[in-house]
Amino acid sequence: MFSSELLPCLMVALPLVGAGLVLLSPPKSPDQARWTALTNVLLTFVLALLLVARYQVPELLPPNADEVDRRELVKQTLQMGRSFPWLSPRAASEPVAGAQRQVDTPVQLAFAVDGISLWLIVLAALLMIPAVLVSWNAIDERPGRFYALMLLLEAGMIGVFAAQDIILFYIFFEFTLIPLFFMIGIWGGSDRRWAARKFFIYTLAGSVLTFLGLLFIVLSEQWMSNSPALTFSIPELTASIQQQIAASPQNAAYWGRVSPWIFAALFAGFAIKVPLFPFHTWLPLAHVEAPTAGSVLLAGVLLKIGSYGFLRFALPLVPGASVAHFHLVAILAVIGIIYGALLALAQEDIKKLVAYSSVSHMGFCVLGLFAFNTVGLTGGLLQMINHGLSTGALFALVGMLYERYHTRDIASYGGLARKYPRMAFCLLVVAFSSIGLPGLNGFTGEVTSLMGMFATNRLYGTLSLAGIILGAWYTLSLVRRTFFGRLREPVQSHQHSPVVSHHQAHGQPAETPLTDLNLREMCALGVLIVPIFWIGLYPKFFTRRMQPSLQPIVAVLQEQGAVMLSQKNALPVERPVQASQPAPSPANSTISR
Amino acid sequence: MAEFLVRAIPLCPLLACLFVALAGARWLKDKSHLPVALGCALSCACSVLLLFSLPPSPSNPSGQKTVKLYQWMEVVEPEVAGIPGYQPGGAGGSPGLDVWIALRADSLSATMLAMLTFVATLVVVYASGYMHDDRAYWRFFAIVALFVFSMIMLVLSASFLQLFVFWEAVGLCSYLLIGFWYEKPEAAAAGMKAFVVNRIGDFGFAAGVFLIWVTFGSTDFARVLDGQAIADVYQRNPYLLTTICLCLFTGAIGKSAQFPLHVWLPDAMEGPTPVSALIHAATMVTAGVYLVARCTPLYQLSPTAQEFVAVIGAITALLAALIALTQNDLKRVLAYSTVSQLGFMFLGLGTGSLVGVGGAMFHLVTHAFFKALLFLGAGSVMHAMGGVIDMREFRGLKNLMPQTHTTFLVGALALAGLPPLSGFWSKDTILGAVHEQAHPHAVAAAADGETRAEPVVATTPFGMSRPSLYNLLYWIGTFTAFLTAFYTFRAFFLTFYNGPEKVPHAAGHHAHESPAVMCRPLWILAVGAALLGLLFGHLTGVFDGFLGRTIPGLAEAAHEHGINWTVALVSTLVALAGVALAWFMYKEESPVPARVAALAGPFTRLSENRFYLDEVYKTLVVRPLEALSQVSRFADWLLVDGALVTGVSRIPSLLGQLPRPIQNGLVQFYALAMMLATAVLMWALLSKQT
Repeated sequence: MFSSELLPCLMVALPLVGAGLVLLSPPKSPDQARWTALTNVLLTFVLALLLVARYQVPELLPPNADEVDRRELVKQTLQMGRSFPWLSPRAASEPVAGAQRQVDTPVQLAFAVDGISLWLIVLAALLMIPAVLVSWNAIDERPGRFYALMLLLEAGMIGVFAAQDIILFYIFFEFTLIPLFFMIGIWGGSDRRWAARKFFIYTLAGSVLTFLGLLFIVLSEQWMSNSPALTFSIPELTASIQQQIAASPQNAAYWGRVSPWIFAALFAGFAIKVPLFPFHTWLPLAHVEAPTAGSVLLAGVLLKIGSYGFLRFALPLVPGASVAHFHLVAILAVIGIIYGALLALAQEDIKKLVAYSSVSHMGFCVLGLFAFNTVGLTGGLLQMINHGLSTGALFALVGMLYERYHTRDIASYGGLARKYPRMAFCLLVVAFSSIGLPGLNGFTGEVTSLMGMFATNRLYGTLSLAGIILGAWYTLSLVRRTFFGRLREPVQSHQHSPVVSHHQAHGQPAETPLTDLNLREMCALGVLIVPIFWIGLYPKFFTRRMQPSLQPIVAVLQEQGAVMLSQKNALPVERPVQASQPAPSPANSTISR
Repeated sequence: MAEFLVRAIPLCPLLACLFVALAGARWLKDKSHLPVALGCALSCACSVLLLFSLPPSPSNPSGQKTVKLYQWMEVVEPEVAGIPGYQPGGAGGSPGLDVWIALRADSLSATMLAMLTFVATLVVVYASGYMHDDRAYWRFFAIVALFVFSMIMLVLSASFLQLFVFWEAVGLCSYLLIGFWYEKPEAAAAGMKAFVVNRIGDFGFAAGVFLIWVTFGSTDFARVLDGQAIADVYQRNPYLLTTICLCLFTGAIGKSAQFPLHVWLPDAMEGPTPVSALIHAATMVTAGVYLVARCTPLYQLSPTAQEFVAVIGAITALLAALIALTQNDLKRVLAYSTVSQLGFMFLGLGTGSLVGVGGAMFHLVTHAFFKALLFLGAGSVMHAMGGVIDMREFRGLKNLMPQTHTTFLVGALALAGLPPLSGFWSKDTILGAVHEQAHPHAVAAAADGETRAEPVVATTPFGMSRPSLYNLLYWIGTFTAFLTAFYTFRAFFLTFYNGPEKVPHAAGHHAHESPAVMCRPLWILAVGAALLGLLFGHLTGVFDGFLGRTIPGLAEAAHEHGINWTVALVSTLVALAGVALAWFMYKEESPVPARVAALAGPFTRLSENRFYLDEVYKTLVVRPLEALSQVSRFADWLLVDGALVTGVSRIPSLLGQLPRPIQNGLVQFYALAMMLATAVLMWALLSKQT
């Protein structure tokens, strides 16, 4: 057996190798490219399962844990780490003075997993299987290149979650844009060029700001710790900064001054990626124009990079600013939940409906993260996984429908359940998962996010519950209008339809017979439906592995909340105030009400 | 023993469900009902045994038995040095989560289980005849088994969160079964309406569960419904309890179809009739009643919540009965009657007295029997009439369907509340409890044997004192009892009498009595509907005694309360009057009903159109929301994407436009600019020197 330390690195490398192999396969035999891609994706998924099996769950924080305990726990949760020296701004041989850092090269190829990235990596590897399967017949124009790009995207997605170095993270962060840009721009719908450009420029603009913020963190850390060498390692940065904040008031004051700026810079990139209201407008366009596999991966994994960024960088590295901006983010999330649901209600295009529902569902996720307690963070992280599964499956289903009828107009469908019972069953499961029906995965994430937020702030928690009513409304309307009622099928006129003219430019797509789901499609949906039930029925399997990584973050956030509260309470002492103010309970009251 | 039974009760229908779902389409086909019937029957046998295997003991006075199955989720909040951890009931903070899927059996849930599984078994047997020719036979039974399982788990829940889980699960089954014939657009729409309207109630329920969670630090019944814990919370903040009670009641309003969220239940009659009998009359819709009864310890400390429950219950009872007067669809009459009877149950719960709670639970059980009987009877008629259920299309079926006629009569008498049938005893207990609240003085005097100093006069949120409020509610309840007797027998006479036999075309020439597999369940239910009250009601005190293990003090209170003969006499007379009026108007074909309807013109129209509530919702809720969503779509396009995003993206090119005129390619201009700039520069240098 090989060392499990290499697993994360291997998971990044394998799709890259696969991409090369797919490109090498002769362009005349698309089947070879397909099977190569599928084998590669399946192998990567097996590695992901191995990752779960090898991950050891550490003990939770002891009661009254202090900063040292937390660092110890973080060290334990970070597993299967391996780093290779890579770039060095200085000569590598320069002796390091304080010898605080064992490494001599600041920028490293460092990969590892912890309870947060573990599930996101598994999600990325899992979603690749349906992504490959749904493209099987849909992409017959240069499939080799399409699959190569998709595998590059997989390497990027796994890399971004496994990276333990800020530069490496940023490289993967941007790297995920490029394959998707081409996937949308080449294999997309009629308006694909504009969609690809908007998607690319919009997200790039935000992420450049994020990069500035990340660099600022690195430089500040070096300055404050008086260390001769820069460090780009994420765990080291986190530990060092949290130590500094805890150690002395001067340090804390410095971080208090700079952290709003850092938070703003990080927020710019991550909020666009999530996307939070009002930064969401690139999403529907990109989804509508993207090929099915692109939509599945975009909604399923790429959006999670934004919320992952909040969880990995914003909350632990600038905890004070995160707590201070609680209301801003929570209000945007609540607006996103309700506004996204209202927009979804107004759509006549199936893909747009699902895209706007993503805005709504990702709002729950951010809401959970900004509840600043373990229940909320667990919910937020679960919601990332759940949204990936259910929305990925929804887009896959829409793609299958589109392959048969070449239209996404809801009004042109009706009563399909009689003709496609298997598809109807899958759609019902996925729709109810997305609505948040208990027993399926959506409920676990939504209810824990909401409970977390409710404990922190009753108002936001209650308001966002309204999103659940609207969610049932638009999702069940979609089901009713397309699959229930009398059978109504769109006219089969795609040969002459101008809407699909680009198909003619690339040659006719293979005709999909108007029959129920075939084995390939069943497999594509099956791999998503199994975890939908699993997470719904036994979420403890997943949350148990998340918690040790979430607890230290929560502890820091709660401490920051208490600090801010004490500062706030220190103010009124100077002015004469009504003495009989009941002392608000600590920890959360700064952000309550 | 008890543990085995508690495990077996939900397991049987679950296995049946899985078996039929997997093997139904391919192999079982028209035998799909067998595993489900077997599962329900086994479950029923276990439930009956369970009634006798929960003996109270000194250490466990309620005799409850909890079986933990598995831990669903556990979230531990870190305890941070220097920050005091969570304090229950504090201003904020998450207490962490520790959710188990567990089975908690006590006398309250055992009663529900016995009723539920018994009715379910009969309905499944009946449905095997009723659904005989359906092409999705197996799908029907798979979902019914799933429903029975979910409902059992709901009743056996050990925490509010688990209750919420299965609360939604039965909602799913209801959705699937209402929309069972999904090709009918009305059925699909009705299913969706039921789910979404229920979601509105669930909104409140979820908020209530969250509030319980942060207040008590847990959602386990064992920790929340504990006298000491509740007293502590009450001491700190009594309004918190009221808020919790009202939130939970919102959930009950949705699920138990109370005003103003009752609009989904009549539409739910689009589903197959056995489903209407099982889910939308006997079991699922009573989940709200069960929830409030379960939370009796909470409600007892909140008079405001009690009054709210009672008022909503009374309004619903009256409103639904008024609507039922003019409906022509036999199933809809029964549906509105269900809404009305559920209102009665809430009226009982809303008295806040133990007698009222016991009466509501007893009414729940008797209602399950006679309403299931009536629905299955209506289904039998519908089956014979070829799917027609409009009472204008058929009449005089007495001789055509003798068995259905007799059993339906028993059910109608029980629903009308005539002694000695079961409905009389339960309804009378509720009215007696309301009467007691209206006259606290007299009852207290009778009980103590001496006059109390002064009755507590508290004003209610409804602007009148508590006794006068309950006095009003008592008369509303009595009037509703009259209406109930009238509309029930109107439907009965219209169907089975009202002139010579008439059969719609859809029935063809071979309209006939239903097969034995459908008639036998009717007879069994009829026996239950007739005798339950006599055997277990006030005369024997069995029911109150059994339930008293879970609700301490109930048995003593019921015994003390006895039967209020005045109330019983009044309600009996009123019911007799209703039956007599229906007999007079509908026994024979006569012009009287039409004349009465014309006389009460505006009222008839109100009642026929269900008080225009659906239209009100459409104009006040649905349309504005749809308009709002269109407005958001437009705003998203114009403002967010148009002005904001595209606007920002123009900035770089606009900035580029600014210096553009300078680069105009005219050499003269460049020379001039150079000269000017040099001049300015020189002037600046010179002026600085001097």
